Amino acid sequence: MNLALGRAGVTLGLAAAILGAVTVGYGLIRHRPELVRLSRWYAGLVFLGGFIAAFAMERALITRDFTVKYVADNGSTKTPALYNFATLWGALEGSIILWALILGGYLVAVVLKFRKRLADPLVGWAVFTMLLVCIFFFWMLVGPANPFKSFSPPVGFDGPGPNPLLQNHPLMAFHPPMLYLGYVGFTVPFAFAIAALITGRVGEGWLLATRRWTLIAWGFLTVGIILGSWWSYEVLGWGGYWAWDPVENASFLPWLTGTAYLHSVLVQERRGMLRVWNISLLCATFALTILGTFITRSGVLESVHAFTTSGVGVALISFFALIVLSTVVLIGWRGDRLRSPGRIDSPLSREGAFLANNVLFAAFAFVILLGTLFPLIVEAINNDRVSVGVPYFNRMTMPIGLTLLFLMAIAPVLPWRKASGELLRHRLIWPAWIGVGSMIFAVVVGARGFAPVLAFGLGGFAAGSAGRQLVLATRRQGWRGLVGRANGGMIVHLGVVIIAVAFAASSSYVRQAEFTLTPGQSAQFAGHTLVYEGQNIKQESAKIVDQVLIRIDGTGPWAPSLNKFANGNQTIGTPSVRSTFTDDVALSVIDIKDGENGSVTIRVTVQPLIIWLWIGGAVMAFGTLLAVFPGRRRNPLDAVSAPVSVEPPKEPTGATA
Amino acid sequence: MSSTSAFAKRSPLRRWGPWVAVVVVAVAALSVAVFGTRSAPTAQDRVSSISRTVKCPVCSGESVAESNAPASQEIRRQIAEQVQQGQTDDEIRSFYAAKYGQAILLTPSAAGVNVLVWILPIVALAVGIAALVIVFRRWASMPQERATDEDRELVESALHPDELTDENDPHGEGASR
Repeated sequence: MNLALGRAGVTLGLAAAILGAVTVGYGLIRHRPELVRLSRWYAGLVFLGGFIAAFAMERALITRDFTVKYVADNGSTKTPALYNFATLWGALEGSIILWALILGGYLVAVVLKFRKRLADPLVGWAVFTMLLVCIFFFWMLVGPANPFKSFSPPVGFDGPGPNPLLQNHPLMAFHPPMLYLGYVGFTVPFAFAIAALITGRVGEGWLLATRRWTLIAWGFLTVGIILGSWWSYEVLGWGGYWAWDPVENASFLPWLTGTAYLHSVLVQERRGMLRVWNISLLCATFALTILGTFITRSGVLESVHAFTTSGVGVALISFFALIVLSTVVLIGWRGDRLRSPGRIDSPLSREGAFLANNVLFAAFAFVILLGTLFPLIVEAINNDRVSVGVPYFNRMTMPIGLTLLFLMAIAPVLPWRKASGELLRHRLIWPAWIGVGSMIFAVVVGARGFAPVLAFGLGGFAAGSAGRQLVLATRRQGWRGLVGRANGGMIVHLGVVIIAVAFAASSSYVRQAEFTLTPGQSAQFAGHTLVYEGQNIKQESAKIVDQVLIRIDGTGPWAPSLNKFANGNQTIGTPSVRSTFTDDVALSVIDIKDGENGSVTIRVTVQPLIIWLWIGGAVMAFGTLLAVFPGRRRNPLDAVSAPVSVEPPKEPTGATA
Repeated sequence: MSSTSAFAKRSPLRRWGPWVAVVVVAVAALSVAVFGTRSAPTAQDRVSSISRTVKCPVCSGESVAESNAPASQEIRRQIAEQVQQGQTDDEIRSFYAAKYGQAILLTPSAAGVNVLVWILPIVALAVGIAALVIVFRRWASMPQERATDEDRELVESALHPDELTDENDPHGEGASR
């Protein structure tokens, strides 16, 4: 039943996407608007197909229908309801269903939003491109990643349940959908970019039409990444939250190029420049979401030789190649129209700062991509093994991060076209004092080391500059000074600064130790007193939980535990974290010795300011929301660039680049 | 415009004074941060910082510090012993590199083909900056289109002079950018 329903849904989605693409494409080429307008029905059917597939899979999971192989592989009668529901995205095939469902949802949203312009070739080609992407993902569900394979369970069969790590924290229910809403959301601006290239309407129209979509996708991606690192902090129990591992890097790469795009697009809106660059950034962002899925899903990371056995890997890398190739060909074909007449007058200007931002973000993305793929490159070249890990990424990204903080301090106060040194001295002096003040504060409370203290200083500088813009805007416009893209963007900047400071502090001043304690024994570490009180063993439906009760500075007891899952022999730990606004004490159980008077080995990780990572993430999400909210329409007569001297300049300006 | 020229009339001391103070205080704070007294790392701190740079031999991608695998626990114990014996961080790391191969270290060495992973980002950044310099040069040498009197009249008739000076907005930053 579920099997049939699911297969019907997938087939419906695939058929609707193929027919839709053929109809819309034919209508566009033959100039038959009535055919192009049919796209709304096809979009609805694609979404319906994805919805039916997801519904069938959820129904199979909830009713524990083990005739569906995916449920037999990943479900279990003992899994609690929430994690059972989240098992839809707990493994590869199910996560492609979620991808297809969200893609269908975005397609419907586009068709609804542009319902009056469906026959407009720009919208038509965008919908056509989205339908092509839908064909790929629904084809994956029919072919290499088919979730609806049948299975004949023996009597009394029970599945193993999802990977124990995936049923250990409620964040698992939210992190993947958020991430996918971000990943898939970039399909919309990508589709419009392709449509702009095809129609030759490469001006600013498609940018304005999609800027809010891009921002929303970017916001979801941000939230997804932060929730993911929160999840890893709360679940994995090694005391960290960001390991620069390939899965994290894969989600971070499109975030970096997407962030670069959000900034450089402003230059094109204002000055009509950077057309090729913006289209390339957007297509790179979309391609990187596919490459990221390939990196994490194909098994290529185990070894370059592993992935050829996985049909999913081959499919994803081919799709990636297709995207890159068609983008390059289209850009080459439209090269003549993409040239823009404008010029940037001075590097010391808003647009100059955006260019510097783009170079830095591109370098950042390059470092992450290189570090992630380098082991594969080396293996392919000389069959050698090499590891590129946390120390590499921290060392290489630190200078880029610090420079970005510096730029974040300068750029918001720069006017368009050209700034004078005088103007900068005037506008930046208070932000600079805030930066210096934060350095002094950091040194007084005991912070040492060049990089972290510099990071605190630049963080204060950037926060001061964002704060200055917000104060000026609210003074002029009241509460409306907090909404709109520019002002919301400054709140996002504040969130980024909070995260940067928390990252610098926690990674520079982390202290970690292991203690073996018997009941009643206490230990001192990094200014905290830990007392081991005893154990508490709980029997839950899916697992046996052996809690170790520990008091931290008299609070608690905190209960890190070891979980023995009923299915499978895996034992995994659940850490316990005491968070305060100044520092986190994270406890995880390494070993519980049986029969030796209950002695346990625990790992204690003390890191400052961890909680500010999550607060910063919330501020970023809030700022994005304010940025999406329509701000005050700018009076077209308001001057926005610095006054340009009326006298003709004696020599060409900006030659000091 | 009027506010800008008011700045220009100030003496260099008045203009640069606050910035000199900012730089002096910042340098002072940074030198305390770099040279100031700090508690020496304990043996335990060294063990955990070394074990963060050594890869767990049996897991995928985790460091010895993160992993709970028995092999990692054993290596952590061994590193603690080596630190006790007074070996330096590099000695300890090269011991494991010799035992398990270079891939045990999470920091790639700068030898052979591995040097690329360190050099390429710097090359890429240099290329990016060079490209920026070149385009700015090109833009600077482009002939600037001069506004004709006709254009100016058009602008003047569109702008009311009283809207140009907003006292909350002396530099013409605009309401929302």
